[in-house]
Amino acid sequence: MIEIRDVHKQFTSRTGAGLFKRGEKRIVHAVQGVTLDAPDGRITGLLGANGAGKTTTLRMLAGLFAPDAGHIAVDGIAVKDSPLKALARMGILGDAHGLYPRLSARENIVYFGRLQGMEPDAANARADELAKLLEMQSILDRRAEGFSQGERMKTALARALVHDPANIVLDEPTNGLDVLATRALREALRWLRSPAGGGKCIVFSTHIMQEVEQLCDEVVVVAAGRSVARGSVPALLDQAGATRFEDAFVKLAFPEEVAA
Amino acid sequence: MKQAWIVFAKELADALRDRRTLLRILVPALLMGPLLLTALSSLIASLEERADRRELMAVGLDTAPTLKNFIERQTYVIKAAPADYEAQLRATKLLEPVLVVPKDFEAQLRAGEAPTVEIVSDSANQRAAAGIGPIQRVLWGFNQERASLNMAMRGVSIELLQPVDIQERDLASVQARATRLTSILPMFIIMAVLYGALSAALDSTAGERERGSLEPLLMNPAPPGAIVVGKWGAVALLGMAVAALSSLSFVPAQWLLRSDSLQAMFQFGIEEALAFWLLQIPLAAGLSGLLMALAIRSKTFKEAQAGSTLIVTAVSLTPMVTLLNPGGDSPWYLWVPGLAQNTLMLAVLKGEALRWEQVLPGVAVGFALAAVALWYVARSMREAVAR
Repeated sequence: MIEIRDVHKQFTSRTGAGLFKRGEKRIVHAVQGVTLDAPDGRITGLLGANGAGKTTTLRMLAGLFAPDAGHIAVDGIAVKDSPLKALARMGILGDAHGLYPRLSARENIVYFGRLQGMEPDAANARADELAKLLEMQSILDRRAEGFSQGERMKTALARALVHDPANIVLDEPTNGLDVLATRALREALRWLRSPAGGGKCIVFSTHIMQEVEQLCDEVVVVAAGRSVARGSVPALLDQAGATRFEDAFVKLAFPEEVAA
Repeated sequence: MKQAWIVFAKELADALRDRRTLLRILVPALLMGPLLLTALSSLIASLEERADRRELMAVGLDTAPTLKNFIERQTYVIKAAPADYEAQLRATKLLEPVLVVPKDFEAQLRAGEAPTVEIVSDSANQRAAAGIGPIQRVLWGFNQERASLNMAMRGVSIELLQPVDIQERDLASVQARATRLTSILPMFIIMAVLYGALSAALDSTAGERERGSLEPLLMNPAPPGAIVVGKWGAVALLGMAVAALSSLSFVPAQWLLRSDSLQAMFQFGIEEALAFWLLQIPLAAGLSGLLMALAIRSKTFKEAQAGSTLIVTAVSLTPMVTLLNPGGDSPWYLWVPGLAQNTLMLAVLKGEALRWEQVLPGVAVGFALAAVALWYVARSMREAVAR
């Protein structure tokens, strides 16, 4: 179970400048009020346009930096107070998911399993299990050096799931995947949500409507750093008075565009 | 602690699999020192050979039978100089000085007019300049003999010519004399530590960031301190491993020495190699930490490399301090990383026993530097990823 309550985050960045003049400082409000409740056994989508604040929100969830305001808890553990305990309860596939090119897929997975406190044998057994689930047995003992985008993504996902976490957080996991790989990932996520797969709490961010329509039990629409609507897909369609989900999303996320 | 160990084992395996980089570090580290030592020894051997040969190059000596006779009595072989000896000396083609005797030498000598002879050399031509001494000594000998004969003929005691008896006494031990030539060796060991640690330090910080694998790594429930200590351990160990190979490479290198006297003077056994290696521990600790601290703020490997040139330059210049400051070693040397190791290794080469108060400052500074650097890296890692 993941709870994100009204989090805020601002960054300072510099504007472009001349040859000798430094840029001026500007404050960027990346996130200004995102709220999300993700219960166990459900897939919760974080839907928003590029730059809406999805990745920043998920990075705060991962404890990379603290929010300026607001509260984040995982299974009741506040991320700010005990980040390591919270991290142990999550499997996170972040925006950056680089692998170690000189290690095999298995070694990449086992390394993270060991850091999660698993014994070598258990981590190895789990790597085999995940390879079966994600259909990556053929690449399991190859070095990550020459992996395709899809193979890299699968390895990174397996690495995030190695400790069988109760909460799974995925930041745009289908980026760069082909149709087959996307379908396989969808299947894997559905299975993880089911009681047989452990009834996980799954949060995933995306900007692709199809993904949300086909997969999510609950959707949180984020626009300009705020969560502007939440509910199931049919509920959001009702709320916006639209028949196509894309229209509903644009109406909810960018009301000023629709008015114009 | 266990997590630090896991990170350490992974970083070490990762670095050792990077065979190409490893090879490129090892080849210069293993070969440079021995090659230099061999080149140095062949230079000395050629100087010694010339001393043994007792040859003297001269112009116009045929018109000076008295001098020629004296030189030949000293068992020197006289060689005629080439006609363009001045040009050849300037161009460093001729490697020995030339004795130039004027045409009217014999007549002037007989008239008691003190004829002028020249020893022609070029101070920019080091090998030729080094040969001036023996010729000078021969000529002094000739002067001495002529003067003594003149005095004796007038019934004056020869001892009047030598009111003071001068004798030299050299306090340097055989090994200490050799260090004048081998004082460059410690630098190779220091550079070996640096090169061994450099690529691993950058790869485990800036490289990890560039690959996008630092962020997932930090999403494991491992304390940042443990991750940093594990990485640092692997980096320092790699530096030490290259240093070990580099210092061991001098042991077989001395069999290649061509000069017998240098071979006798340069005593570098397993014991010296071990002392060299142990002295590097604080340097490896401090440098590894420092390199990681510089690199963690860099977004790419390339940027980190540019940043590390500062350290590489500073470390490679430390032996220069001893060269530029001929007034002898100052106590503060022992407090500067790199310089301290250089000073201590020179002491080992001289065959001096090391005292604890000489070694401890370097150890303290090295580990303090490492502690501060690691604290900084652990603190900066999350921020670095977040930016």
